[in-house]
Amino acid sequence: MVDAARQPLIEVKTFTEVEKVEGFVGNFKVTLREKSKYVRADRCNGCGACTKACPIEVPNYFEMNLAPRKAAYVPMSQSVPLIYNIDMDACIHCYKCVEACGALEAIDFSMTDKIVEEEIGAIVVATGFSHFDPSVMSEYGYGRFPNVITSMEMERLNNSAGPTHGALVRPSDGKPPKNIAFINCVGSRDKRYNPSCSNFCCMYSIKNAILVKQMHPGTDVTIYYIDIRTPSKGYEEFYDRAREMGIKFVQGRPSEITEDSETHQLFITGEDITLGKVVEREFDMVMLNQAAIPQPDQNQMSSVLSVAQSPGGWFMEYHPKLRPMDSPTDGIFFAGACQGPKDIPASVAQGSAAAARASRILHSDEWHIEPTVAVVWPDRCVSAQDKSCGICSRACPYSAIDYTQGKAAEVITAKCHGCGACVGECPHDSITQLHYTDAEILAQIRTLLATEPEKKILALRCHWCSYGGADLAGTSHFEYSANERGIKVMCSARMDADFIYEAYRLGAGAVLFSGCHPQDCHYITGQVSGSKRANRLKTIFERMGMSPGRFRIEWISAAEGDKYARVINEMQATLDAIPPEALKEEIERLRPEMARKLTRLPNIPGVQQALDQTDEIIQLMTELHMEKV
Amino acid sequence: MSAPTDTNLLSERVKALPGGEFLMMCYSCGTCTSKCMIQPKLDPNYNPRRLIREAVFEMEAEAFADTTTWLCSACDLCYPACPQKIHISGVINAVKALAVEQGWKNPNPSAVVDIFTCVACGMCVEVCPYQAVSLVETKVAGRGLIPVATVDPGKCMACGMCSAACRSTSISLPTRHHDKEIIADLWAFLAEEAA
Amino acid sequence: MIDHKPKIILFQCQWCLYSAEDQTWVDTQLPVNIHLVKVPCTGRINTLYVLNAVQGGADGVMISGCLPEQCHFKEGNLGARRQLDQFADFLDHIGYERNRVRFTWLDLQDRGRIQRDLAQFEADLTKMPKSEALATRVGGHHD
Ligand SMILES: Cc1cc2nc3c(=O)[nH]c(=O)nc-3n(C[C@H](O)[C@H](O)[C@H](O)COP(=O)(O)OP(=O)(O)OC[C@H]3O[C@@H](n4cnc5c(N)ncnc54)[C@H](O)[C@@H]3O)c2cc1C
Ligand code: SF4
Ligand code: SF4
Repeated sequence: MVDAARQPLIEVKTFTEVEKVEGFVGNFKVTLREKSKYVRADRCNGCGACTKACPIEVPNYFEMNLAPRKAAYVPMSQSVPLIYNIDMDACIHCYKCVEACGALEAIDFSMTDKIVEEEIGAIVVATGFSHFDPSVMSEYGYGRFPNVITSMEMERLNNSAGPTHGALVRPSDGKPPKNIAFINCVGSRDKRYNPSCSNFCCMYSIKNAILVKQMHPGTDVTIYYIDIRTPSKGYEEFYDRAREMGIKFVQGRPSEITEDSETHQLFITGEDITLGKVVEREFDMVMLNQAAIPQPDQNQMSSVLSVAQSPGGWFMEYHPKLRPMDSPTDGIFFAGACQGPKDIPASVAQGSAAAARASRILHSDEWHIEPTVAVVWPDRCVSAQDKSCGICSRACPYSAIDYTQGKAAEVITAKCHGCGACVGECPHDSITQLHYTDAEILAQIRTLLATEPEKKILALRCHWCSYGGADLAGTSHFEYSANERGIKVMCSARMDADFIYEAYRLGAGAVLFSGCHPQDCHYITGQVSGSKRANRLKTIFERMGMSPGRFRIEWISAAEGDKYARVINEMQATLDAIPPEALKEEIERLRPEMARKLTRLPNIPGVQQALDQTDEIIQLMTELHMEKV
Repeated sequence: MSAPTDTNLLSERVKALPGGEFLMMCYSCGTCTSKCMIQPKLDPNYNPRRLIREAVFEMEAEAFADTTTWLCSACDLCYPACPQKIHISGVINAVKALAVEQGWKNPNPSAVVDIFTCVACGMCVEVCPYQAVSLVETKVAGRGLIPVATVDPGKCMACGMCSAACRSTSISLPTRHHDKEIIADLWAFLAEEAA
Repeated sequence: MIDHKPKIILFQCQWCLYSAEDQTWVDTQLPVNIHLVKVPCTGRINTLYVLNAVQGGADGVMISGCLPEQCHFKEGNLGARRQLDQFADFLDHIGYERNRVRFTWLDLQDRGRIQRDLAQFEADLTKMPKSEALATRVGGHHD
């Protein structure tokens, strides 16, 4: 931080919030709120006279509230920049600080928040993580038993710059503990709170245990764990060292901490699972290694930045293996724990990678984006005919469509992510997606259903999840019905109702509408649009009297190859259960109704030509095939 | 498709019963064992975590003979504590149901009815938390074919609620928690104190 | 005031003490004036036991069980409370004061609570008026 502040090309803005991010890669317009410190940065020399003069004390959040601070303060002595700050919620307006500051006249009670706008080329988000509050787990007594503390409190107590100058003491009586325990996975790997692993707690509990042992060799240290995870270089060796030093490890998750209300001694009850025995052990002090959770304002930041969140709330990367530091929005990158809990080495590596990625943008005059963007046909857009619409603009998860009544809607290409939600939603077929045009997809449908369509299961799969699931089913050799025919689009939001009507008009036996689970959607809310449309279609088909199961909606992740195979096999079984005559009769009965929904199709640019050509090719292929036979 | 599963496996049969669904989710943390009072208070061999492993690894004979199978009272103290949200007593009861189905007998004592004094008022049926008591037409010497309380040992957990509720002292536990013994013990203490 | 240490019958359900230390205390170190009757569940306590305790001259009866929702037998503690509360009302009616029958529900995390509760009960009983005729009033034995 000190280095960053010294770098002439880096400007550090502390106490500043990002309020709005507009624009697109290379051309972001960011609105910042520089909050008022009531101390003028250009005058404060960091002498601290105001703090000495201030009569008000409040708990210091930086010290995990274990020590007080004044209303005129810096959170810690290493604060960068070293500019003092008046906490207006605590200030009693005695103006003693103004007096103490004297001729410098740095304190200015009339300051207000400043709103500034900045032109930004690329954004790196590094907002980190927050901590699970273990007081909701009554079994561990945090908040009721003074000697049960959290790992963050431990970090401060163990720190020579901390509130006790590095002396490890029991909060109940200020005496040094002789016998302490750490409990791992408090609120992590726990389906009641946070199902995922917090990544770094195993290692920092070993670190803290070693620190305690080094500074107070006589102390007994025990670590309770479910599994110890030491996956990086040197970590297992560190674990070994802890054991060599005499730190005890107990496998088994404690179920209860009880306290002697007079002595405040603590008793941990847990099964030592290697012994298979329930053991109660007595400790002077217990540390809860609480889960890492997303920042409380993570949802808000995600909507300010228009980036999606993974299940669990962390920011979602473009691709978990290939582009882990990129957000799905061009020009926005992630560094550190905001994308998922990670330790310092991993955070630093990701931060450097993100910086390198960002500098590519800053050094380019041109930027290549994925070509699968949406494009409006201005002459078809009803807004150009002064009709009120804007459906596309509302469907877009990235606000990439400019809609003003009276003008044709316009896609801001650099902001478009290519999900195709607008294309799927436009009731006038006035917008299309390059490489996923109606013409292309309808031609694919026609080809796939060219022969014996009533035996086919047409599967619409999204690129990120269900297509991956189908792929995995293949690479894992999960067998599924050979009657399945798949079509890939970028997102379930692109799965036009027309595709499905056309498939049934052509006589498809069954249609699968599949995409990501709602939480996993790569395009923030694309799946929601897709899911709404699919459910609407389902009701329509039910009313038409279609046999249940011929239209199926399933959310299948890229890891669920087995589910993909199962769903297809179940659909096959459903088809098999309908007598062929009945199925034929049903297809014929519904065909005119489907056709009625599709009267607009030939007017969509390119569709008629594409279909005519497809028919020709099918004809040719069939003849070739017949000759061979 | 994934490999076909053998429905004869113990784990599959447990999963098919209500409460047993999440059997495979256990990561063996031991929270349930230490939340439960049975191991420290009653039987050092009691261990729900181990029973789950026995079911996972198809150790049928061990699972059916395990004291855990028969001692769990379904108090569900462990259920809200399990970080994997497994309904542990559901799993244990599933194992127990399968054991009973195969002819295994509850090795623990259950409540006993004195068929000569039972008046079939049904109080015990009302209070039993395990629906282990019912009124069954029984031939009783000297009383003819009459309904009397009948205990299902496969369900009875020997808590004694029935005995406390019975107005004709006709149902009791066969252990040292028998009415007569408890009352005699009380008088012995009070007489000694008085002396 | 009574001049002797009050005679107390402690009915304890076998599950309600979580801490091994407390259980050992109850099992082995109870003062001589307190008599422990361990039952599988408070739901097991027949009103007859309480009646016999009173007739035999006990100054007080304490019933210690698990918290609601934490009963080892699902709802035995609630059943006991319902039945024995009513019975205590009846005893009060015939002259055995209501507060001579006391319930305590033990929280798992409450270490040392049973000792405190018993001491409090004993102090309260000592303060109560002499009750030589107690046993007589409720028709107890005199031999
Ligand atoms: C008790 C404990 C001990 C640990 N010990 C170790 C260890 O020994 N070794 C190790 O490698 N790792 C350790 N870790 C992990 C380490 O803390 C993380 O790896 C590291 O902090 C992640 O860095 P970060 O920059 O991504 O996030 P953070 O350190 O969380 O930094 C995020 C920053 O962003 C700021 N911020 C948040 N939201 C906003 C916003 N909206 N606008 C502006 N600013 C914002 C925050 O104020 C904060 O300063 C430990 C973690 C814990 C909990
Ligand atoms: S608490 Fe749950 S996860 Fe842990 S051992 Fe018991 S059943 Fe398994
Ligand atoms: S439900 Fe069974 S295993 Fe769980 S705590 Fe109660 S008796 Fe023990």
